[in-house]
Amino acid sequence: MALDPIFSDAIIFASLLALLSIGLTLTYLTTRVPNFAHASFATIGVYIALVATRVWESSPYIAIPIAFVISGIVAVALYTFILKPLIRKGASQAIQMVSTLAFDLIVIAMLNIFADYIVNTYRVTSREFTLRSYDVEFMGLPVIVFAAPITIAILAITLHVVLRKTKFGIAMRAATENSDLSGIVGINVKLIFGISWLLGGGIAGIAGALMSLWFQGDPNLGPQLIPSVFAASIVGGFFSIYGAIAGGILVGLTEVLGTRFLAGELGSWLIAYRPLIPLVFIVVTLLLAPRGLAGINWSRLRRHGSRS
Amino acid sequence: MVLEAEIVFIVDLLAIFAIYLIVNLSLNMEFGYAGIPNFGKVLAVGAGAFVAASIPGRIFANIAGIEGDYIENNLAIVSEINVWLVDNTGIGFIVFFLTLGIAAAVGGGLGLLTAYPAIRLRGDYLAISLLAFGESIRIIGNNFTPLVGGTLGVQVPDPLSFLPGELRFPIATIGLILIAIVVYVFSEKMIRSPLGRMLRAVRDNEVAAESLGKNTTQIRIKIIIVSAALAAIAGALYAFYVGGTIAFAYDRASWTFWPFLMILIGGLANNKGVLIGTLLFVTLRKFIIFFKDSFQEYVPFDVVWLDFLLLGIILLAVLLYRPQGIFIEKPTPTITLNGNSEPSGLKKMFNFFFK
Repeated sequence: MALDPIFSDAIIFASLLALLSIGLTLTYLTTRVPNFAHASFATIGVYIALVATRVWESSPYIAIPIAFVISGIVAVALYTFILKPLIRKGASQAIQMVSTLAFDLIVIAMLNIFADYIVNTYRVTSREFTLRSYDVEFMGLPVIVFAAPITIAILAITLHVVLRKTKFGIAMRAATENSDLSGIVGINVKLIFGISWLLGGGIAGIAGALMSLWFQGDPNLGPQLIPSVFAASIVGGFFSIYGAIAGGILVGLTEVLGTRFLAGELGSWLIAYRPLIPLVFIVVTLLLAPRGLAGINWSRLRRHGSRS
Repeated sequence: MVLEAEIVFIVDLLAIFAIYLIVNLSLNMEFGYAGIPNFGKVLAVGAGAFVAASIPGRIFANIAGIEGDYIENNLAIVSEINVWLVDNTGIGFIVFFLTLGIAAAVGGGLGLLTAYPAIRLRGDYLAISLLAFGESIRIIGNNFTPLVGGTLGVQVPDPLSFLPGELRFPIATIGLILIAIVVYVFSEKMIRSPLGRMLRAVRDNEVAAESLGKNTTQIRIKIIIVSAALAAIAGALYAFYVGGTIAFAYDRASWTFWPFLMILIGGLANNKGVLIGTLLFVTLRKFIIFFKDSFQEYVPFDVVWLDFLLLGIILLAVLLYRPQGIFIEKPTPTITLNGNSEPSGLKKMFNFFFK
């Protein structure tokens, strides 16, 4: 089966954004602060995949559970040691955002130090590296092309079941909707929020481990990726997991395929402007439909459409 | 005469300090006094630098009659201009101040653009959209070559080229510090005026201010435009000082995150805090860069990352343990119109003779 690599690119990038935006939404639901360090949690996953393949010389897919745990723990540390005390002291949302930026700086510095350490100790390329050659083929395509969307499907179903059917999920939804009231009925809000951050960071780690098999890895990946992740989450509405998946797929496909299409129509100089696409998404969504895809009342829209 | 390394170090430190002081004062107006989290500060700074990189060179080339494509033969043209400027100092200064004016106008225009979301959105959504605005300037500068030469950058003509080599940077630094003092006084006067009082009222309780008949939308637009114009002047000055502009230097960290860090360390809504915060930060960074090489042998990684690590930890510690910064916001004394306060010596004399 031959497939233009641009489609693999689009599928993997869209899946990656959807995964990151699910995680960002999970954490945003709890503390209402957009986490600037979120994309760097994925970079942690990328480096765990690097260690798994180049240092331990095993399959890159082993990195997925490890990345989930480590990125999750880093995210919980951000919540427990920085955001929770700040919220208790009544810091404004802008200050909380600055604190996630500062945390991002620390994570990036650690990743860079780790990258230097790997180079010096194991003589392994740790900047602008690619792990594509470590992936196995399936039907003439690298497995990652299937693995990325399948991961999203599994996660979406799991999250749906957990959030709707289990006692824990119902408690979590209650805590994010009204933390004071759910505290009164005996829900341990802080524990629930901590688990949300563990899940959010962990999913970002999985996304990173997966993306290392297709995209170039670098310690400074986070700041490059974060506008796209924010765009995906904002398009999705920031309050809905399903919205986050839809937003991630929409922004990811538009970024890859839209740039390709426009470059074909107008000339290849346009490719360099690809980073503007998520920014346009952010501005247009916030100004026209600030509650994103999830905020639009689809059923009313349909009724409205059929009447006219 | 060759300057000592220590003097070069201090001169450079003071110049960077003056430029960051202007940017931070403008950010403090927005974030400290008006409560607008401008995560896209780099937009105005970058715009000012791009104006300085693209406009004065072309004007000089036109006046001096230097032929050639300004971007492609940039190096040759700018060095020709600098030679020409030695004999035409007057025109050099006129164009320099004209450029600052254009930079302020362009910055103000971009401020009007950022005011569009700033009066409609609040909190995190506003911060993210301003961040998106700020990101775009680097992407455009990097790819649209006629502006600042894309990834190669351009040289900026030097109106001070008539000075001998070793005096150029010290004199430029003195000029920068003078401009920074003017901006500081302007900012201080503005904060103490009725406009400054209204700003704080809108920040603390928008509904209450509105109920007293204050136009909160208008004041937000006004402060964003003023602040963006000041930041653009700082950007243009920086481009003139270093003598070149390259788009990737105008990134989120240098011109948005560092200014936030400085004003938060010094103390929000407090110009004295901004002064101290900026001085501390600039000195610290300068020392880290200065002593980088002597540290390098002891650590198995690039020392630059220790700098990031240290600054991130300092900021988090300040936010967690001293959220008000070094200086706490105090009630600002207002400027009296006439009468009530004790008249100054000069005024007493004036009154004695003429009243």
